[in-house]
Amino acid sequence: MSDQKTHSCPWCGLVTDASTLSCPSCGATIDAREVVTESGWAELPGRKDMAKLQFGSSFCQIEGNYVPVADMSLAAQDWVYFAHHVLLWKDPQVTITTMGLKGAWKRLLSGMPLVMTQAQGPGHIAFSRDAPGEMIALPLQPGQAVDVREHLFLVATGNVTYDWFQSNIWFTTRNGNETETHYPLGMFMDRFFTPNAPGLLLLHAAGNAFVRSLAPNQTILVKPTALLFKDPTVQMQLHIERPAGTWSSWRSWGNRYLWLRLYGPGRVAVQSAYTHMEDNGRNITRHSGATQQSWG
Amino acid sequence: MKHCPKCNRPYDDHETFCGFDGGKLVSDTAPASAAPAPPMNAPIKTEAPRVASAPAATDAIERIACEWCYAQNQKTALSCRSCGAPLDIRNLVSESGWREAPRIRDMTEIHFGMSTCQVEGEIVPVAELNLGQGDAVFFEHHVLLWKDDHTPMSVMPLQGGVKRALAGMPFIISIAHGPGRIAFSRDATGELVVLPLHPGMELDVREHAFLLASHHINYSYLRIKGLRNILFGGQGMFMDRFVTSDQPGLLLLHGYGNVFERVLQPGESIMIEPGAFLYKDSSVTMNVESQKLTTGFFGGTGMNLARMTGPGRVGIQSMYVHHQTD
Repeated sequence: MSDQKTHSCPWCGLVTDASTLSCPSCGATIDAREVVTESGWAELPGRKDMAKLQFGSSFCQIEGNYVPVADMSLAAQDWVYFAHHVLLWKDPQVTITTMGLKGAWKRLLSGMPLVMTQAQGPGHIAFSRDAPGEMIALPLQPGQAVDVREHLFLVATGNVTYDWFQSNIWFTTRNGNETETHYPLGMFMDRFFTPNAPGLLLLHAAGNAFVRSLAPNQTILVKPTALLFKDPTVQMQLHIERPAGTWSSWRSWGNRYLWLRLYGPGRVAVQSAYTHMEDNGRNITRHSGATQQSWG
Repeated sequence: MKHCPKCNRPYDDHETFCGFDGGKLVSDTAPASAAPAPPMNAPIKTEAPRVASAPAATDAIERIACEWCYAQNQKTALSCRSCGAPLDIRNLVSESGWREAPRIRDMTEIHFGMSTCQVEGEIVPVAELNLGQGDAVFFEHHVLLWKDDHTPMSVMPLQGGVKRALAGMPFIISIAHGPGRIAFSRDATGELVVLPLHPGMELDVREHAFLLASHHINYSYLRIKGLRNILFGGQGMFMDRFVTSDQPGLLLLHGYGNVFERVLQPGESIMIEPGAFLYKDSSVTMNVESQKLTTGFFGGTGMNLARMTGPGRVGIQSMYVHHQTD
């Protein structure tokens, strides 16, 4: 007979005994209540400064609150990979090498990192990004995948596979004889998948991050550059909205709103500090599959 | 307990060298026959006025030593008089040995000379100074937020103006004199790092990272040696150097994001992203090392990391300036 209390982490679902202060898998504070808006968006769970997450025989300590640092203590048999510009510091004995990536030419053209770097334990190595925001720990269970908007990925453990796919969210405009193609979401998205063993994926969100689960066929419109990650089951489409009272030939941003329409089922997450989306206001000549709405 | 005979900083028994000046530590326990030892050097004598308003020597046992700047404080104090660090919160130190810079509470007051500095706000903190008569601070003019109209201003004469202009360093350093109020802030989310400098200290700071310094501190610049260090070190040709002679001083930096500090032992090394470097003791050496990351057909890219070697303190900022390396 055991009367030991257990706790299920609201973020990653790991069941732990209630004696720990933070979830060993994602670092979420155990005793904090989940903060959910009336519209259904949940804030990232609070995380105590210096919270420790465990993965394999290694652990990661998350330090700071404005621009958090992921400080990893790698065991000899563990390794992680990352885009090389997020490396903050490392012990001299930690070896770093490059990781082979397919489709280098396409990645180069689309502005994605051409080189993925890997670090092998034992030793300490730390990562951070260059904007205020939140560190998101996504523990991935075997068979689980997640799609991440490009340039948001910070670091992943070696047992998480990395792939990428075309976002297929685009539209073209014409300027004289020139045709410009625009990718509001970026040309590609990253996909992380754990085939066999559990893995850990760390992302950096600019500003605050909010996550929401969409029911099957439930839809929501988000700013394309605000998307952080989504489950692969969530489908995406362009949505073009024209407000009432605007002159349709006026070349201004106020002429239309470009949205990303997300369809459930699955999780979606957004960041509150998104980058400005370029739109020259010229007439759209072609576009990927899209829904449209004109008001008046 | 042990202490450093040069700067008199306290250390645990297992430490061997001072992390600030590399001096060999000596035990606090004096021989039984020896009379109580007077302070060994000038720094302690000059330190005294700074903590003069702290309790008298008779109740020394009831003082609280700040873990950030080692100043002594009243036992009832909630924050350090000299650096503003909270005294009722333990240091946050990661398992790898990095200590977070103390998170200064909103509206905390710091004392230096006849003046006070109040730290306001937490996301982009403001340092608001009430300068006393005879006190002055110097700063780069673009960090000035506001001032009383009667606060006198002047310009610090600098050597090597042409070199500084060519290197992108501030050509003009302004000075504000007391009495009067003046406030400073930078243009990004981050932390104020309050560094009270004891007499005889030398601190090297990333260019443009210093917010203000009190007038007892000598300001100069250090030319970075080695072409690789200049090209790939992430901070150009020069570093700011702040030196105290026989008077203590107050130096305020603004670090982007969060700031962490680590004390390196003699010969101990750490590799850091050059854009993350914020400050170091002058005893710490910095050398940029390159690593080629090849990708076969496309040639790859290079990664440059700065090897910092102790003894001494190293401070880094988590929101660093990434510099194109290749």
